[in-house]
Amino acid sequence: MNVKVDKTVLASVALHVLVLGWVMLSFSTKALEMPPEDSVPVDVVSSDQLSKVMAGMKTGKKENPKPLVEKIAEAKPVDDTVGKISDKAPVVTETAPPPQPKAEEKPVEKKPDPPKVVEKPKEEAKPVEKKPEQKVDQIGDTIKKEEKKPPPKPVQAAKPPEPPKQQRIVERHFDQNQIAALLDKRDPTRQATTGDTMNSNAALGTAKGTAADNSATWGAMFQRQVERCWKKPYGGIESQKPEVAFAIRLKRDGTLEGAPVPEGVPATPFLRVYQESALRAIIECQPYKLPAAFYEEWKYFAPVFKEKV
Amino acid sequence: MLFRPSRRQIITGMASAGLLMAGPRAFAQAPKRVVIPEGEFTPLPIAITNFVAGTPGDAEVGVGVSQVITNNLKRSGLFAPIDQAAFIERISNPDSPPQFQSWKQLGAQALVLGRMTRQGDGRLKAEFRLWDVNQQQQLAGQQYFTSPEYWRRIAHIISDQIYERLTGEKGYFDSRVVFVDETGSKERRVKRLALMDQDGANVRYLTKGSDLVLTPRFSPSTQEITYMEFGQGDPRVYLFNVETGQREIVGNFPGMSFSPRFSPDGQRIIMSLQQGGNSNLFVMDLRSKSMTRLTDTPAIDTSPSYSPDGSRICFESDRGGKPQIYVMSANGGGAQRISFGEGSYSTPVWSPRGDYIAFTKQGGGAFAIGIMKTDGSGERILTSGFHNEGPTFSPNGRVVMFFRDPGGNAGPSLYTVDISGRNELRVPTPGFASDPAWSPLLS
Repeated sequence: MNVKVDKTVLASVALHVLVLGWVMLSFSTKALEMPPEDSVPVDVVSSDQLSKVMAGMKTGKKENPKPLVEKIAEAKPVDDTVGKISDKAPVVTETAPPPQPKAEEKPVEKKPDPPKVVEKPKEEAKPVEKKPEQKVDQIGDTIKKEEKKPPPKPVQAAKPPEPPKQQRIVERHFDQNQIAALLDKRDPTRQATTGDTMNSNAALGTAKGTAADNSATWGAMFQRQVERCWKKPYGGIESQKPEVAFAIRLKRDGTLEGAPVPEGVPATPFLRVYQESALRAIIECQPYKLPAAFYEEWKYFAPVFKEKV
Repeated sequence: MLFRPSRRQIITGMASAGLLMAGPRAFAQAPKRVVIPEGEFTPLPIAITNFVAGTPGDAEVGVGVSQVITNNLKRSGLFAPIDQAAFIERISNPDSPPQFQSWKQLGAQALVLGRMTRQGDGRLKAEFRLWDVNQQQQLAGQQYFTSPEYWRRIAHIISDQIYERLTGEKGYFDSRVVFVDETGSKERRVKRLALMDQDGANVRYLTKGSDLVLTPRFSPSTQEITYMEFGQGDPRVYLFNVETGQREIVGNFPGMSFSPRFSPDGQRIIMSLQQGGNSNLFVMDLRSKSMTRLTDTPAIDTSPSYSPDGSRICFESDRGGKPQIYVMSANGGGAQRISFGEGSYSTPVWSPRGDYIAFTKQGGGAFAIGIMKTDGSGERILTSGFHNEGPTFSPNGRVVMFFRDPGGNAGPSLYTVDISGRNELRVPTPGFASDPAWSPLLS
């Protein structure tokens, strides 16, 4: 079956197709290359709600009782493992020399001292004679032993007065072996506010997302390192504006996986020398110390050497 | 006029049009680009080993060649030769690849190895290899044969090879300088024409010193020198052949002839001729001895210099009141003033590269050496002081030599400076020296 078509009409159609096709192609390129943006969670607020918010009425109904971002933890009773200083009973002494300063000076050895001091100064010699070495060697052990049998010595010596006993109960002592017990074990009142706590709209990210681009960080580190080895050739006073680029692959330890691949063939002898100088620098300065976290980014990249503008 | 396409043709046409429009768009995965914009110029660290003696008795010349190369590259300001005392590896066979790691430790980026061997016919064979230490590649390798007394020239030629391979520019070490050697007290100064290697070695005297000589100039293409000599009468322009020692007067004119200079092809000499109170430019063909007048002004036109392609001339003229630099066609005609700075400009000389004109600038009580582009833009003073004069370009146009007179009882000396103004160095000469002129490359 043959269709009769006027040649001019055909030419016209062909031209239209060509022109329109060209227009579609050339005008659409920019739109196609637009980088996709990361999605941002948005709450839709009606004008009604907005006006209510803006009104700020005290009696207004609470629209959003549960804040999305911050979560306030319930206040838990704090269990103090050590004991509070405020709980300490006041020390009552009559004429005795003040035991407090001593307690401050040597809190470790302190426990049985007050009674002795109060009673007889002579008695002090006894405990010292009994275990002088142990005290020096192992403070912790000494303390434990003394804790187990604190009464005997004072009892043997004489009947100690009441106040010292009270003091012994509340006395705080510092034990290096139990530092962990001193840590504040209360739950934090603030909660983590990242990830899905912050943003309930989970986003998968975009193919061309710029969020993962840390080249400013590791690129600057690479630049500082490679510059130390770069003996830039002298190009005279004419501005030759040389620019050479390489594609390089790095291993995790920062060494080159293979020889850097130069982009393009230098057009002039000077450009060749410029390219060679950069190549020498890349090879000489390895291994490069770059952040391991961004290895996926710097394992393959293109350093571009160019004249300072 | 009807065209009847079949349905098949129509479908094919549409399909191809569609294909054309929906052409494949290949998005190649390009690596991320990291720009390294810094990098100051740094002299290249280079290790130059003593050339191995291929035959006993040539160890001395091997050391000499290495020293000349080291001195040349160091003086260029573009290389930092590493002290031989630091070398770890001793080279015994320059043909086998060196232990690159031991040179890398020294920070060397390039390494020069070589050997000097006496041939059966008495000639000297010089071999050298230039290695890239980091890439572990040979960048250059050559061998030369020469008479033993020309070992210095071999060293200069090797220096040029290294310079060219590592900077991308032609070298200038295998060249000579003619200058006016000055001896004696200031009142009875004896001035002789002298010739030496560009590094100050191998000085020889071309005239006896009985007559005053001035402004020697090398031919750009032949081993000839033209200069001005005050004999028994007016000063004359002479031609001197370096190889044969012959000399002749260029033309015989009434009045003074001065400031001669060769054309790029060496076939003509351009000079000034004094006529009354003014002087004009003339060009003389050396074969036909015919003279052509280039300027005809009531002013003083002097110090002409050809562009390397021979199409234009720059010269000094006071037609505007003060001496300034003008450029005109090599055939004469309208001249264009290119210098407009403060003070006066003189002794212009065109770079062998064609990109700059060097000059002496006088003003503010000082004489300066400077360069400007051939249109007068980009003026740059390279050095300034009590008295600096007479610039001449190295064969590659990268270095300017001039003479400096400190004043007082001292005499002038020769200096070189890079066209960027860096690396000013004194050139060793036996006595006082002035009016240098650089030869073209000898090879």
